[in-house]
Amino acid sequence: MRKVGVIGAGMTLFRRRLQETGKEMCFEATKMALDSAGLTRADIDMVVNGTAPDAFDGVHMKGEYLLDGCGGYRKPYTRVFTGGGTGVFSSIAGWWHVASGLADAVLVVNEEKMSSCQPHPQSVFAHIWDPILDRPLRPNLIWIFAMEMNRYMHVHGVKKEDIARVAVKNKRNAVGHPCAQLADPNITVDDVLNSEVMAWPVQRLDISPPSDGASAIVLASEDFIRRRKIKDRAWMSGVGWCIDSTMWTDRDLYFPEYVARAAQTAYKRAKISDPRRQIDFAEPYDPFDYKELHHLEGLLLARKGEAPILTREGVTERDGDLPVCPSGGLMGVGNPIAATMGQKIGELFWQLTNQAGKRQIPHEVHTGVAQAWGDLMQYGSVVVMSS
Amino acid sequence: MTFLDRTTDARRFRQWEGNMEADYIYTSGVAGERFFVALRDGGKMLASRCVACNLDYLPPRLFCEDCFAELSEFVDVPPEGRVAAVTMAHLDRRGTPLSRPQVWALVTFEGIRGGLVHRLLVPPAKARVGLAVRAKLKARGDRVGAVTDIEGFEPVRS
Ligand SMILES: [Zn+2]
Repeated sequence: MRKVGVIGAGMTLFRRRLQETGKEMCFEATKMALDSAGLTRADIDMVVNGTAPDAFDGVHMKGEYLLDGCGGYRKPYTRVFTGGGTGVFSSIAGWWHVASGLADAVLVVNEEKMSSCQPHPQSVFAHIWDPILDRPLRPNLIWIFAMEMNRYMHVHGVKKEDIARVAVKNKRNAVGHPCAQLADPNITVDDVLNSEVMAWPVQRLDISPPSDGASAIVLASEDFIRRRKIKDRAWMSGVGWCIDSTMWTDRDLYFPEYVARAAQTAYKRAKISDPRRQIDFAEPYDPFDYKELHHLEGLLLARKGEAPILTREGVTERDGDLPVCPSGGLMGVGNPIAATMGQKIGELFWQLTNQAGKRQIPHEVHTGVAQAWGDLMQYGSVVVMSS
Repeated sequence: MTFLDRTTDARRFRQWEGNMEADYIYTSGVAGERFFVALRDGGKMLASRCVACNLDYLPPRLFCEDCFAELSEFVDVPPEGRVAAVTMAHLDRRGTPLSRPQVWALVTFEGIRGGLVHRLLVPPAKARVGLAVRAKLKARGDRVGAVTDIEGFEPVRS
């Protein structure tokens, strides 16, 4: 396998509704990523597109629809899709294009335009439930998350205040993010605890709402990086992905085993034996505040039940010992499903190359991990990156 | 497999009904907005120009798919186009015969990359590749800024 580096990244504003079409958003993010890498479309060998269900944008075969905005015209082009996990998985697909020796320079472009779906993307999310066992009960997707959160709280005796601290931290971290939809410098734990109950224990401010947005990264081989004298690069040192049972009723709701297995694969490849000591910062997937805690434990960066304690003690703050979601995450920047690659892989690149601006972690960092979660809530994708 | 025969009445079997309801509103986008406003207010079609590649895109795009430049220059599409391909639809989407076949065409314009698919306003016997056509627009007051502001394409010379 060849060494693969991230050499450029870009992302659009994340907003509830953008005027740009999906193609136009892809173009903006792709152009930014190419510009930041100092490349043009002609330098790119292959293109990977990542985007979640067609039903959000309301365009069937939307990978093919988006291809011109992604720079895919007349190039080898593939759309990959693992639900929310696409936010990190598409970069893994980009990685294997380069690691295998098939390509020297690859664009990975992720997009979601959820505002198309009316009155709310929730209406199409409902169709992921089993059509015979579940859908006749007219369930809401949030029920799954609410039960998972409840199970996690029950097993470890976690208080809602400690979960709400994640929402507060991430919405405050997002204040320094130019694309942020949900930044709030003044939010408090009480604001979260007093917000509307959607499906108990999930309240309005525990969840990141749908959004429009796109993000892009450029990956290149070590040879290419040396030949082009590219200075700003961060190596993808480990990748892993894993899927659990198709039945959500068959999973250990309190612990994301699929994330742990994906992380172990990625750590092995990155030669990480003690993640808590060897990983300097993390961008776990946080569409809900409890998911950051859940995923930190899945990533083996906290013992089971320990993540809320680390959060309470300030360990996961930007200036803490293990900064978590310094980008502001999905809770602070926004959640256009696949496009959250910008806060995950993009943020690792910007932090590791000292380009994170106001979000830059104040101490030196060399290794970060990004993770996304998706499919039918049972899928994890993990990438380790090093300076 | 238990259903060996073609199922003609699903109600004879134990079954559940489902409906994947989904409603959408779409944005026309940055380039699309220019195109539809010009169509509605000016009664004309615009293409976006890539200076670097020396070509014009119809429908207009915000960017050149080839050189990846952002396109901000718009030009008028020539009034006269040509039929590049035709089809006569005999069935509707449910497979029901139409009372009269509908004529559809791909219309292209000289020097313009792309084209439009639309109704061809001629009897089926007159539909042919190479026919010189122009857009027939709805009256100004009936135009809303949509592709249906064009009623179809009609022959330049009848
Ligand atoms: Zn061009």
